[in-house]
Amino acid sequence: MSSAFDPQRWRADFPVLRRSVHGKPLVYFDNANTAQKPQAVVDAVDGYYREYTANVARAVHSLGEQATAAYEGARDKLARFLNVPSRDQLVLTSGTTQAINLVAYSYALPRLQPGDEILVTQMEHHANIVPWQLVAARSGASVKAAPISADGELLLDRFEAMLTPKVKLAAVAHVSNVIGTVNPVAEIARLCRARGIPLLVDGSQACPHQRVDVQALGCDFYAMTGHKLFGPTGTGALWAKREHLDAMPPFFGGGEMIRTVSFDGTVFADPPHKFEAGTPNIAGFIGLGAAIDYVENVGIAAIQAYEAELLAYATEALQSVPGLRLFGRARQRAAVMSFLIEGVHAHDVATLLDHEGVAVRSGHHCAHPLMQFFGVPATARASLAFYNTREEVDAFVRALDKVRRLLA
Amino acid sequence: MDTPALYRDIVLAHQRAPRRFGSLQQPSHRCDGVNALCGDSLQIEILLRDGRIADYAFRGECCAIAMATASLLGERAIGLDAAALAALQQEFTALVQGESAGLALGDLAALGELARYPARRKCALLPWATLAAALAGHAHTTTEKDAA
Repeated sequence: MSSAFDPQRWRADFPVLRRSVHGKPLVYFDNANTAQKPQAVVDAVDGYYREYTANVARAVHSLGEQATAAYEGARDKLARFLNVPSRDQLVLTSGTTQAINLVAYSYALPRLQPGDEILVTQMEHHANIVPWQLVAARSGASVKAAPISADGELLLDRFEAMLTPKVKLAAVAHVSNVIGTVNPVAEIARLCRARGIPLLVDGSQACPHQRVDVQALGCDFYAMTGHKLFGPTGTGALWAKREHLDAMPPFFGGGEMIRTVSFDGTVFADPPHKFEAGTPNIAGFIGLGAAIDYVENVGIAAIQAYEAELLAYATEALQSVPGLRLFGRARQRAAVMSFLIEGVHAHDVATLLDHEGVAVRSGHHCAHPLMQFFGVPATARASLAFYNTREEVDAFVRALDKVRRLLA
Repeated sequence: MDTPALYRDIVLAHQRAPRRFGSLQQPSHRCDGVNALCGDSLQIEILLRDGRIADYAFRGECCAIAMATASLLGERAIGLDAAALAALQQEFTALVQGESAGLALGDLAALGELARYPARRKCALLPWATLAAALAGHAHTTTEKDAA
């Protein structure tokens, strides 16, 4: 390895990585599905439940103060992590899906007219397709998808041509969850801005792998999830420009999001709280705060460089497997590899790899349109993280060869 | 690889050389079944004569488990009427849930290992659901009526 990055140094921090599956050491290659959690995250969640369980923003007692400080501290950490201009532009959500739905219902729906369009891409996750379809169906608008190349890159000129005055919002993945394509979001944002079209970026798969700077990207909305960033499930966030947040009505009503309530009318809290009705996932966000500290300590630049090397190594190794087809060859790619072995169904690949201790995902990866584009019902997907190693890639490739010999 | 028991010889044999793979000249019933969560899809055609399955053919793009099940099911279904098939389907469902030894199932009992693979059960249930839907006169079915 040419870089000094040593994954072994970090592996010890992840309790799950010590276990075995079917008597073989676990090789966890399903990180794009959800990432493993370092002990620091487990401890942070545990510490809240053990030592200072309390609700946030409504208790003046010591435990409440401590819980509120830790929870809001996590918002600060996430705001810094994403280079959000101001912490009150960061709405905490249950994940990317809720964040996108918030924009769909609160921002897009009131603005959409019959004949309007929402522009997405062929490579989107269902979470960045279905919410738009739902609000389009209610408003008479439609969802259009910009095409991609055979290599899985967005055809930017086609995307630009589709940015007609009918388009009221564009929504693109920062990184494809299926084939790892890193979209040129800053360039996409420039095209959208020039036409006054707001851009939402689905950052689910980007945050664990590369530095995300929402201001440098120049988008209007950025949605992300915590559980792929080594944090607890049920955590995520929406960043939106202040002018959008001010203009958006609340999506959920309830406690925590109001200033005053009477039966003559209710005055809502300022953003972000006006979008955060009810008791939030306090423990989860405290855990996410610990995850961000952890990732910052490892170093996101070091992670990105190491994963690029590991991806190159894995891609080359996969090519040695006879009959293996790799989907997506984008020039800018995160460490996500979708593949099939000729004559073997993705589910059989996943079940048999599991018997060798290797965890991969099989199926359509919540991206039916992309499967249709490639003309396959399903693929197997190996997605890497900074704690994965070349030795694990070797074990994975050996296991694949066994699968091939059994079934192909 | 120590081959996992799920992929026993009989399952592999039917996956590699499925019986009754293709289509019928003049089917009386036909149904397309999909397992939307995993992407398995198959089509079953049957010829029903005097209330009994006289002929059976299937084709599709499936995993080894669905393929072997559809192949074994075709061998077993010939001569059965809807009631007998429903009883067998019930027993097969119990088998893959670990609640029956599947004594009446013959070679299909080889799929009993699915009791240890909850995530793969639908692969084997798809051919059954598709055959039952075909008999009921439906052109399409899915194993996910109760799931997203």
